[in-house]
Amino acid sequence: MIQWLEVKVRQIQTGNSVNLTAMRRQRMEVNVELRKAKKDEQILKRRNISFSSMGESLSPEQEKKNAVSTLSLEEIVQAVNGNNPELHLKATQTARRMLSRQRNPPLNQIIEAGIIPKLVEFLSRNDNVTLQFEAAWALTNIASGTSDQTRAVVEAGAVPAFVALLSSPHMHISEQSVWALGNIAGDGPMYRDSLIHNNVIPPLLALVSTSSLVFQVGFLRNITWTLSNLCRNKNPYPPLEAVRQILPVLIRLLKHEDKDILSDTCWAVSYLTDGSNDRIHVVVETGILPRLVELMASPELSVVTPALRAIGNVVTGTDEQTQMAIDAGVLTVLPQLLQHPKPTIQKEAAWTLSNIAAGPCHQIQQLITCGLLLPLVELLDKGEFKAQKEAVWAVANFTTGGTVQQVVELVQYGVLKPLLNLLSARDGKTILVILDTISNLFLAAEKLEETEKLCFLVEELGGLEKIEALQTHNNTMVYQAALGLIERYFASEVCGLSQLLPSGSMGRTVITCDL
Amino acid sequence: MELSDANLQTLTEYLKKTLDPDPSIRRPAEKFLESVEGNQNYPLLLLTLLEKSQDNVIKVCASVTFKNYIKRNWRIIEDEPNKICETDRIAIKGNIVHLMLSSPEQIQKQLSDAISIIGREDFPQKWPDLLTEMVNRFQSGDFHVINGVLRTAHSLFKRYRHEFKSNELWTEIKLVLDAFAQPLTNLFKATIELCSTHANDASALKVLFSSLIQIAKLFYSLNFQDLPEFFEDHMETWMTNFHSLLTLDNKLLQTDDEEEAGLLELLKSQICDNAALYAQKYDEEFQPYLPRFVTAIWNLLVTTGQEVKYDLLVSNAIQFLASVCERPHYKHLFEDQNTLTSICEKVIVPNMEFRAADEEAFEDNSEEYIRRDLEGSDIDTRRRAACDLVRGLCKFFEGPVTGIFSGYVNSMLQEYAKNPSVNWKHKDAAIYLVTSLASKAQTQKHGITQANEFVNLTEFFVNHIQPDLKSANVNEFPVLKADGIKYIMIFRNQVPKEQLLVSIPLLINHLQAESIVVHTYAAHALERLFTMRGTNNATLITAPEMAPFVEVLLTNLFKALTFPGSSENEYIMKAVMRSFSLLQEAIIPYIPSLIAQLTQKLLAVSKNPSKPHFNHYMFESICLSIRITCKANPAAVGSFEEALFMVFTEILQNDVQEFIPYVFQVMSLLLEIHKNDIPSSYMALFPHLLQPVLWERTGNIPPLVRLLQAYLEKGANTIASAAADKIPGLLGVFQKLIASKANDHQGFYLLNSIIEHMPPESVDQYRKQIFILLFQRLQNSKTTKFIKSFLVFINLYCVKYGALALQEIFDSIQPKMFGMVLEKIIIPEIQKVSGQVEKKICAVGITKILTECPPMMDTEYTKLGIWLMHTHINASVLFMFKVPSMLSTSLNAEALQYLQGYLQAASVTLL
Repeated sequence: MIQWLEVKVRQIQTGNSVNLTAMRRQRMEVNVELRKAKKDEQILKRRNISFSSMGESLSPEQEKKNAVSTLSLEEIVQAVNGNNPELHLKATQTARRMLSRQRNPPLNQIIEAGIIPKLVEFLSRNDNVTLQFEAAWALTNIASGTSDQTRAVVEAGAVPAFVALLSSPHMHISEQSVWALGNIAGDGPMYRDSLIHNNVIPPLLALVSTSSLVFQVGFLRNITWTLSNLCRNKNPYPPLEAVRQILPVLIRLLKHEDKDILSDTCWAVSYLTDGSNDRIHVVVETGILPRLVELMASPELSVVTPALRAIGNVVTGTDEQTQMAIDAGVLTVLPQLLQHPKPTIQKEAAWTLSNIAAGPCHQIQQLITCGLLLPLVELLDKGEFKAQKEAVWAVANFTTGGTVQQVVELVQYGVLKPLLNLLSARDGKTILVILDTISNLFLAAEKLEETEKLCFLVEELGGLEKIEALQTHNNTMVYQAALGLIERYFASEVCGLSQLLPSGSMGRTVITCDL
Repeated sequence: MELSDANLQTLTEYLKKTLDPDPSIRRPAEKFLESVEGNQNYPLLLLTLLEKSQDNVIKVCASVTFKNYIKRNWRIIEDEPNKICETDRIAIKGNIVHLMLSSPEQIQKQLSDAISIIGREDFPQKWPDLLTEMVNRFQSGDFHVINGVLRTAHSLFKRYRHEFKSNELWTEIKLVLDAFAQPLTNLFKATIELCSTHANDASALKVLFSSLIQIAKLFYSLNFQDLPEFFEDHMETWMTNFHSLLTLDNKLLQTDDEEEAGLLELLKSQICDNAALYAQKYDEEFQPYLPRFVTAIWNLLVTTGQEVKYDLLVSNAIQFLASVCERPHYKHLFEDQNTLTSICEKVIVPNMEFRAADEEAFEDNSEEYIRRDLEGSDIDTRRRAACDLVRGLCKFFEGPVTGIFSGYVNSMLQEYAKNPSVNWKHKDAAIYLVTSLASKAQTQKHGITQANEFVNLTEFFVNHIQPDLKSANVNEFPVLKADGIKYIMIFRNQVPKEQLLVSIPLLINHLQAESIVVHTYAAHALERLFTMRGTNNATLITAPEMAPFVEVLLTNLFKALTFPGSSENEYIMKAVMRSFSLLQEAIIPYIPSLIAQLTQKLLAVSKNPSKPHFNHYMFESICLSIRITCKANPAAVGSFEEALFMVFTEILQNDVQEFIPYVFQVMSLLLEIHKNDIPSSYMALFPHLLQPVLWERTGNIPPLVRLLQAYLEKGANTIASAAADKIPGLLGVFQKLIASKANDHQGFYLLNSIIEHMPPESVDQYRKQIFILLFQRLQNSKTTKFIKSFLVFINLYCVKYGALALQEIFDSIQPKMFGMVLEKIIIPEIQKVSGQVEKKICAVGITKILTECPPMMDTEYTKLGIWLMHTHINASVLFMFKVPSMLSTSLNAEALQYLQGYLQAASVTLL
């Protein structure tokens, strides 16, 4: 389930007779993605590979040594189905080791061997802690695989067993269970909700309250990650009741110093805010925003990314919710993020900005006051293409909802040149948004009776030539938008002294054929 | 229709007949085929014929007929019957790929087109096997087959380059990528290997390179929307191979043709495009490869010749460098002084040279040359690309680049000076270099608007441009003359005015040059200079300054129109128009000769109007002559009518559609100048203007309405007395116009003129009918535009006939109608009325309704009156109309009393 930026409509009333639409663009979940899954997204499932809380090392050599001394898959099957408790342990351990190999762990072979029900059974063996632990580890790694592999674990009844183990007196067992449950939750909304129905949340939260005293930071990281998976995914969203239970803990975790904990907590918040306005409401009413904004300025990329994402989601909400983000200081952090060395951050920051620019003009004014125009224009000029694309949206929304004065200010910051340059972008949608923006600029210019001046600027900056060339674009919408601009604003020069012959026929029927 | 031999035979007969040159045999055969194409098996019969017929002509004919059949019928349109039965559809899709691939080229092309049409509708959902079928052919090893597959794939996938992202589109692309990307990559690698094994086999290489071109095109389409995971993972394979192909040369692939690009050029050109796509959209991922491509493309440029066949490649390659050198993080690739020098020397300067092909165009195809050179339709030319590269480099390196070029300019000028008649091309290049270096921004209207501060434009002008233009022989070195004139034109805002004044007689002189380009440029330059604005928005060049040159200017302009190839030169005609406009009264002494020449021209071009701009400026010039002359002496209108009406009659009689709207407008202008009554010559035409056929053409409507308005303004009484029987015809026009959403406002213009000018009694009997028509339209389709016009009309009616008459006519259609109109239309909509005059009409009309209409005070209309008052005040504020002063000064005492009553009831006080 990969996300991208998609168009979401929100009509705003404007004073114009022309009914313009500013857009708040939410992240929409889609089923198709051509690109590689993003490296900076949070991991859904993880395998326990190279270490365990017992400090066991699995260097390749040792692995080899172990492999020599252990059982074949057939022997494992036999052993787990037999009655010899020692062999139970030995077989489980062998299976776990195979599953923990760096390369090509035999997940499917283990599943096909049919030993999962046995492993699940071993989870309840409170009398044999080592066996419990080995089984939990093995199952964790199977659950870290594909959906089918995860399903094999769940359908063998592992969920209630793992939930019960959360309260195990043995720390390494409860930690392994946290991990396993995290993998199961990460599979998707169905298993996530089934965990919630199995009451996974209370014992997890209980672990948090004691963990900081007793456990190492690693354990708390695991818990945080699992919590974030419980917040993750849409269609449907996690139940509101569960969200309300988790939120106070997330706020506590946000006070932590550890960057992994902060990162996963921010991811959790970003999932919770990725939805309709009432979902956003549940989050913002906790007063979490100021801390999130603070984290947007963190030196850690792994924290900035989800914090920015969360705030970006919040400003897709209502004007009031957006205002809360502004009051929390988002506009003071965005300038530096627009100039962040990572293009992805620039892109997300511009996306966030574009949604603030879709707001009423007093919010647009704050955007100006906080000095966002300069970095925005810079990004439009020099950013990477994906960031430029978002910056175009920001400008488009700004010119749709802004007052004439505000639009003038944007133009004074030099937005025209980079905007017009992007008309040669290889992306039809971006071109269309720019053409709409230009038409917004002309509406403002008309009010100021400066149409001619704007015509001049557009031509001087090479825009007219590009718009003319777009009349041969293969996409009809692009071609029509370009034609519309030319006919409306640039045809008069050709008409010469047509004020002498004001009737339509000379201006239109005759002249347009040359364009 | 059975799939029988008999039917195949019949079909063959008819197909043969469709090729017959005799229409009496051909047409019925075509009709017959059309009549049977709805039958089942018809397309399959065609496919059988194109595969098995003994006669090659029939094969080709069947394939063309089949393609056209698919084009007309394959798409299933909602609510219309499916025109091809399902079994035929399945059979076609099952066979066509195989058929296409096994057919000779002529037929293959038709079938490939048919596949694209079917694919557009059915792929991928309803044609799931297509991809696998195509991919399987990749293994055939037969590159004729493979090329067929690749071409088909290209026609299916190329729409990914322009369609907007959508879930549907991306699902399709993903499907294609999953099935196609790996086999395509394998094919790419295999083809490249084969190229080296067959490096000495020319015919094999040609086939293989055709495949590579198609593969490179497919790469572009598949990578356009976003960077697919597969291609990101295999970037190394693709980019390494693209890179080495860019540097590859093989004598066997070089063509002798100088014009047509060969396979190698086409391939490299597409690779440049692919690299540019990645550099623009996927910079982060492409960064490691980019420097290599910069080097390769630049070496390519240095080693590529001047022939026309390399033009697209060179311009694509230069554009790639131009787009990269502007990016801040690639600045370092160009920074080094040696690099800059070598780019300037080996890439830019050679591509700015005036080539044999340019010279040919200059002489033999001047129209095309002018369009490219003057109007910037030169986007794909080498010169243009080189110019863009100069501008790109100047972004970061303006000083050094200018320095390098100054050296070149000087040495080229010296070469020229040594032997002008041999070395004139060096000067051309020097001027071009200066121009591209100096111009940072440019518009048609103003020329260059921002110039490079390192270049002294005036000095260059005085030292190197003016001397050429001053030489006595206007026909010597025409290319340099054109360059010089163009220099004035584009740097007109940088060169001081006194220099421009010195240039004007030189330009006028060059109107006599034989070269079309030269006299066209001279006309265009003059036209541009005449539009320049000085202080106070007055023209920079004034009429008094032009006084010494009026006669020679006008003479030379019209003389230029007599050069072969320039008889309908729009630049010259535009210069005529602009000269008239600038010179104003100064042209009056020459009017008799000017108007004679213009009417002659008009007569000549009306035989076959082909240059819309030329025609437009010609009519503008005629109008200007009329206006300027009649402003000084209105009585002169008669002599214009005398001169023009004969030609106009001919245009109207011959129904020259392009000119009729212009004729009506000129006639309106002439009629409007008349002071008193309408001349009888106009009245004779009046009945003809009401002929429905004239109103069928939309282009005629606005000028005809304007003309009828002029008739009504000047001749309402004459119409009422002498042509009263034409009033229904006039109203018929009105009725036709208001029935159309596009033209209803024109209908109202006409109606308003009728109300305003016709004597009331002459239209009395039609008044009620007019209102009924308006209500019908209001009920059938109510648009904002219609309502606005309607409101203006009823207020005008009220102003003209009084409020009481308005109320009575509404209520006579239906009791209480007036109240309904007030409540449902006037009150809610009145504020939408726009336009100064329109708003005033409404303000006065409503004031009259409020004050002169007793029923407003004492019946149930009263409460509406109060609302109306509110609306009125609000609206009047918008009108920027001082209500109190207007009301108290323009109303009688009784009316004021009414008003006070409303104001109290509405709790409004006047200030």
